[in-house]
Amino acid sequence: MSQKGSDKFKYGLLKAIDVSGFKVFDPVVRLIFAEEPRKQIQDIAKYMLLPIIFCLVCFFMWDIIGPRHKTKSGEVPSPGKVLEAAKDATRFKQREGEKEAAFVAEGKDREALLADSKKKLTEFEEKTAELQELSAAAAKSGQNKIDASLNPIKEKYDTLKAKYKTAQTERKEAISTLADQFANKQASKDELIAAMEEDSLQKESEKEELKVLSQQLDDIRANPPKEIKEAQLAANKAADEVQHYKKVIDILTTGNREVKKNALLEKAEKAEAALTVATTGAEAQKQAKAVVSNKDKAGKADEQKFPKAATIYWQTYRSLATVFVGFLIAVLVAVPVGIMCGLNRIVMACLTPIISIFRPVSPVVWLLIFQIIVGAFFPDPDKHWLFQTMNESKLLPGFIHNLQVNPAMIFSACTVAMCALWPALVNTALGVSSIDKDHLNVAKVLRLGFWSRLFKIIIPASLPLVFAGLRISLGVGWMVLIAAEALSSSDGLGKYVWDEYQNGSSQSFANIILACFVVGIIGFFLDRIMIMLQKLVSFDDGSATA
Amino acid sequence: MSDKAKRLVEISHLVKEYPNPYGDDFRVVEDFNLNMKEGEFVSLIGHSGCGKSTVLTMLAGLNEISDGGIIVGNKEIDGPGPDRSVVFQAPCLMPWMTAYGNVMLGVKNIYPHASKAEKKQIVEHSLSVVGLADSMKKYPRELSGGMQQRVGIARAIALQPKVLLLDEPFGRLDSLTRMELQDVIIDILAREKLTAMIVTHDVDEAVFMADRCVMMSNGPLAGVGEILEIDFPRPRDREAIFSDPKFFEYREHLIAFLEQRAHIKGATRVFSNGQTMGYMDKEAISEIEQNPTLTQLSGVA
Repeated sequence: MSQKGSDKFKYGLLKAIDVSGFKVFDPVVRLIFAEEPRKQIQDIAKYMLLPIIFCLVCFFMWDIIGPRHKTKSGEVPSPGKVLEAAKDATRFKQREGEKEAAFVAEGKDREALLADSKKKLTEFEEKTAELQELSAAAAKSGQNKIDASLNPIKEKYDTLKAKYKTAQTERKEAISTLADQFANKQASKDELIAAMEEDSLQKESEKEELKVLSQQLDDIRANPPKEIKEAQLAANKAADEVQHYKKVIDILTTGNREVKKNALLEKAEKAEAALTVATTGAEAQKQAKAVVSNKDKAGKADEQKFPKAATIYWQTYRSLATVFVGFLIAVLVAVPVGIMCGLNRIVMACLTPIISIFRPVSPVVWLLIFQIIVGAFFPDPDKHWLFQTMNESKLLPGFIHNLQVNPAMIFSACTVAMCALWPALVNTALGVSSIDKDHLNVAKVLRLGFWSRLFKIIIPASLPLVFAGLRISLGVGWMVLIAAEALSSSDGLGKYVWDEYQNGSSQSFANIILACFVVGIIGFFLDRIMIMLQKLVSFDDGSATA
Repeated sequence: MSDKAKRLVEISHLVKEYPNPYGDDFRVVEDFNLNMKEGEFVSLIGHSGCGKSTVLTMLAGLNEISDGGIIVGNKEIDGPGPDRSVVFQAPCLMPWMTAYGNVMLGVKNIYPHASKAEKKQIVEHSLSVVGLADSMKKYPRELSGGMQQRVGIARAIALQPKVLLLDEPFGRLDSLTRMELQDVIIDILAREKLTAMIVTHDVDEAVFMADRCVMMSNGPLAGVGEILEIDFPRPRDREAIFSDPKFFEYREHLIAFLEQRAHIKGATRVFSNGQTMGYMDKEAISEIEQNPTLTQLSGVA
């Protein structure tokens, strides 16, 4: 009985793996249940280990080849640097979180945070001092190393330079004497010209030789040993932490919401006290005004939010939200229209020209069109009800406020919807129009009405194809979104990439490649989810055939 | 008067034409006449492609009638109706519904005013009649071909039709399952007193199941070639019938018709009309000419 139970579990697990599209793990599960271990191990080697090794080889080649290609924005980052960028991005997010916590902390929490931050600050200050010392030592020892490789070349360069200089003056003198001789008719014209030519050739070759040497020197200077760089980097990082905690402490002591509010309330109280003892009308008016305005400001301070900087996490979240909205619009339009097209040939004929003409239009064009058309609905976005409700309404949860919906996001979502529309529409129409005729005959014999025919027969029968279309749509939408965000500067991964490209710091290139991986991995999971849904609604695994 | 009252189905001068891409319409069935009494079981037999399924689908209302007419229960038919239900060759179950759901689909529509319990009872009754009381909650993919066809039969009888139309219902089943299902159908017909028409190309089946066996001449321009009355008592006992010498007589008769007359008649009809044959039927006829007829007729196809 227990044997049967474990078998059931095994096949359940295998089915789950199959449905979720991770069939690669099939032999692993079978191996765990000791089913033909030899075959499973072979399968694992063939279909899991080899691909892993291949990927590792690719990464290895990237690691070697990448840094050799020098570009205007630095060398191509190696995988290690991209990983470093990912870590930095995570730390950046944490820091923003800490700052926000510092901003909103109240009462005892604030004091505890302050103490904690001060402790961390001293910790990092010590660490920074230590690391800077280390870095200086590394620089010193590194300098020796540099000097060791630099000095012989430098010496050679200096001696050569001196030698050539004297040679040049000598030649110059020789020429001038020759010229004098020519003037006195003691030498021929040809002799003088030959000497002149000889001199210029010599000069050229000497210059070339010196240039090569100076280039070598420059190279050595530009590429200090790795230790120096690393020690410096570590010291800089620690110094960054110090800066961060200083900022946190600053926020906790002066920028904190509660502190500000209390200060304002205190001012109001003072003004009130002054008001009670005011003697002149003008004075009383002034104090009364101060009471009101300070109280008002204090009330507003309570609602203030910390202006968080955009992290890649938030950008990803916003991108996902945008693509979800766009995809939802696409589905809501494409599926009903697709069903109508599939049901009725006249509708299909009417829509065919529209589909054929608009489907190939580039997302960039759509984005611009939507910016103009949709933009007209939001002449003053800050005061528009849509954005006010989305970003401020108390009825909506914080994660929606967090999106900071703006017109650019809506253009991007519309562009996604427009581009994701077509595959879903065409596939739905195809799915509906290619239903098994037998099913329709059954519907006729059972005398089903239009609606029950639609919902009981037509839609279920066409679902596999509809979902195949939706899967393509989501893939297209995700791809289009990144471009749309970059172009419309709607916050999201696309804008992140664009900003990094524009700002050109030493780490931007690594950040761009990081974003590339984030986009790819998310795209992969979105696709997997759609495959899963598609498999869940499919029923063609050996069913209808008798 | 009594004769007229008993008549349930009247097919008169039935014609089916398919448009030919070159203008002249192509007649598959011409002048088909048949009357069926209430409670009668008629089998329709003929070579493949002779138009027997066409006649049945026209009776079901799934196929347009080109000329002539069909009257069922004193009313001329116009499309499918609740008085006629069909069992198709393929079970045609909805794979996303359980056996119960598949049967319920029709029941809900035919009895919109019945209570939930009543509907449930109808569905459960018809499923248990075909021997699927234990498999109601199973999906088609979990059922064997024979069981799927049982669901198809249950779906048809759940509508409580006057006429049950069987379109080669056992064509895709192995011979053992086929025998089982033949018995199921015979039982149901006896119990529910249904009128039925079965299209088949299995001679044994045609003789064993039916009261009358309608032999169709070859298409195009197919019609009723000959009608054979089968005189066996009901309920039918398989062993008794298969050992009855009369059974072999009927069988011989049918085979003789199918081997010789149907073929000749069909062919002469085509040429006497001066029409060129359609592509499909040319193929079908040459196929029949090439194959020994008996293998075609033994029903092992």
